[in-house]
Amino acid sequence: MNFMAVDRDVVEVSIKNLRRAGIRTYLTLIGVIIGIAAIVSLLSVGQGLNVAVEEQFQQLGSNTIFIIPGAASMSGSGSAGISLTQADLDRLGGIKGISDVIPIYAGAATMTYRNEKAGISIYAMEAGKANIFGDTGFMQVAEGRMLSNNDSEGILIGDSISKDLFSRPLETRKIVLINGVEYKVVGVIKKESQSFGGGSSSNTTVYMSLEAYKRIFTGELSPGIVFAKTYTRADVEDAAAEVKKVLEKNYGEKSITVYSSDQLLTSINSVLGIVTLFLVGIGGISLIVGGIGIMNAMITSVMERTKEIGLMKALGASNNKILMIFLLEASFIGAIGGAIGIVIGFSLSILVSLIGTAVGFSLVAYIGPEIAVGALIFSMFVGMISGILPAINAAKLDPVVALRYE
Amino acid sequence: MKDKGIISLIGVSKLYGIGDVTIKALDGIDLTICAGEYVSIMGPSGSGKTTLLDVITTMMIPTSGKVLIDGIDTTRMSNSELASFRGKKIGFIFQTFNLLPKLNALENVMTPLWINGVPREEREPRAKALLKEVGLEDRMFNRPNQLSGGQKQRVAIARALAMDPEIIVADEPTGNLDSKSGALVMEVLSKLHKDEKRTILLVTHDEGIGKKAERRIFLKDGRIINHDEKHVCQLNGYGKSKPKKG
Repeated sequence: MNFMAVDRDVVEVSIKNLRRAGIRTYLTLIGVIIGIAAIVSLLSVGQGLNVAVEEQFQQLGSNTIFIIPGAASMSGSGSAGISLTQADLDRLGGIKGISDVIPIYAGAATMTYRNEKAGISIYAMEAGKANIFGDTGFMQVAEGRMLSNNDSEGILIGDSISKDLFSRPLETRKIVLINGVEYKVVGVIKKESQSFGGGSSSNTTVYMSLEAYKRIFTGELSPGIVFAKTYTRADVEDAAAEVKKVLEKNYGEKSITVYSSDQLLTSINSVLGIVTLFLVGIGGISLIVGGIGIMNAMITSVMERTKEIGLMKALGASNNKILMIFLLEASFIGAIGGAIGIVIGFSLSILVSLIGTAVGFSLVAYIGPEIAVGALIFSMFVGMISGILPAINAAKLDPVVALRYE
Repeated sequence: MKDKGIISLIGVSKLYGIGDVTIKALDGIDLTICAGEYVSIMGPSGSGKTTLLDVITTMMIPTSGKVLIDGIDTTRMSNSELASFRGKKIGFIFQTFNLLPKLNALENVMTPLWINGVPREEREPRAKALLKEVGLEDRMFNRPNQLSGGQKQRVAIARALAMDPEIIVADEPTGNLDSKSGALVMEVLSKLHKDEKRTILLVTHDEGIGKKAERRIFLKDGRIINHDEKHVCQLNGYGKSKPKKG
């Protein structure tokens, strides 16, 4: 005796019964479809975000250490509690494994063009080192050229500054005043090109060399953020720990935030993961409602088919066989709803990523087989769970009573 | 084992509790039916004849007593054992036909075949042969609502024969039929008894129909009132089981 009583016939009969059930089955399917579509699209977009973040970090290089003055915050540039000095930077440069220390200086200023004034933010770094980022996809120039070495007059401007900030477009080779000092626009940054640390868009930022920066901001300069590159990826963790140690010795504990790119990636992804999980949980609630729909439909179906169940028992069907027929029917509703939901969910997430890309946020929906397989198994599982009670009801029907049920 | 017949009931009682009142639907029934016998169970409504049939067909477990089919005590079987036993030993014919409305005649006849695990390739030929036997070879693909009452009952008979059971039970098989169709169905039952030596159990309250059987059992208030002589099957010329066809 086969305990589970599942065989090809039971499977076929379940499918045939579903086909016959008509409108009720379709309505029940919709509930499952909505739930699965919600879960799949959210997972897909969430995973896409993860991938996008990861790609940004890969562009930056995984051998990068981020040093931000002040206590831990995700905002990127420093909420400075302390000011790092040139001596500090020199000391960092001497740490074993570190190949390059790139301080980024940030400031706010007023730009004047054709007698129009507007507020801008400035990022400055040693011009030669800017190319390090240029190579990795940061600060890609759409028009004009990169900053040249010791370029004390040239600036790069963001896309929005070029197009929107002033009533007339600000193009390359034009002269502007920043805090009253003359600069020449040498290039415009690509719209999609990222800013440092994944923070505010580079579209409203002016980039310049340290020499150019010093023409406006005088005195002891303190970087908003420092990137330290190591020779190899293997050096990153040790070097990051050493950086922290060296700086905390000078400024006290919690005075500095040091991330390796892996750490930063991990913490960003864990936040993204929590947000995704929360949203998927909401999607899950709609799937529970879908499951209750399946249960409802199956209970009705068992009632309608009471006489048929009695007959099948008379003809030799065991309780297990009846149980399996109804359990499979419910699972199939789950699976079919799941399959359709997966297609719709992925379509939705592609739509979201298209809209996202159109508004300048590069996001590629993640269409992964593991999401599809997981969602399918999950939807079948929900169907099966929902089918347990009705199937037990069907199996337990007294054959004599069921057979004479009118 | 010998002389116990294909169906033996020993002290079978069935009690129903309705509120505080207990109703004895069957009250200590002793009954032996021989292999190949044609027996009608008669009595007024409420006499317990349907309950007796339910107990014999193993659809209902009696409150007390034993029900032996082919010498095996069915009251001790598990649900799945009972189901498969019933599927193979007993063919049902109902007053209301009980065909599955969304299946055609052929699929209806094939239903017991898949339930009881008959190999796939045997199902359709067997069902077709049975439908031909009951004269419905040109109605195989019709659904029940496209068949007359008499045709439906013949599909049901073909279905009852699908597993080649030793025992055929017919519960008011002519109750929903006009006299002509009814006569035809009774003829088929007689043929199954005479030619195929199957054991036929016919439940009816219709005297005329009941007379077709060789032996009549009258029930009243859950007891057999025409207590027949100690029935010894082999003395009366009945074998223990029907000779199989082919």
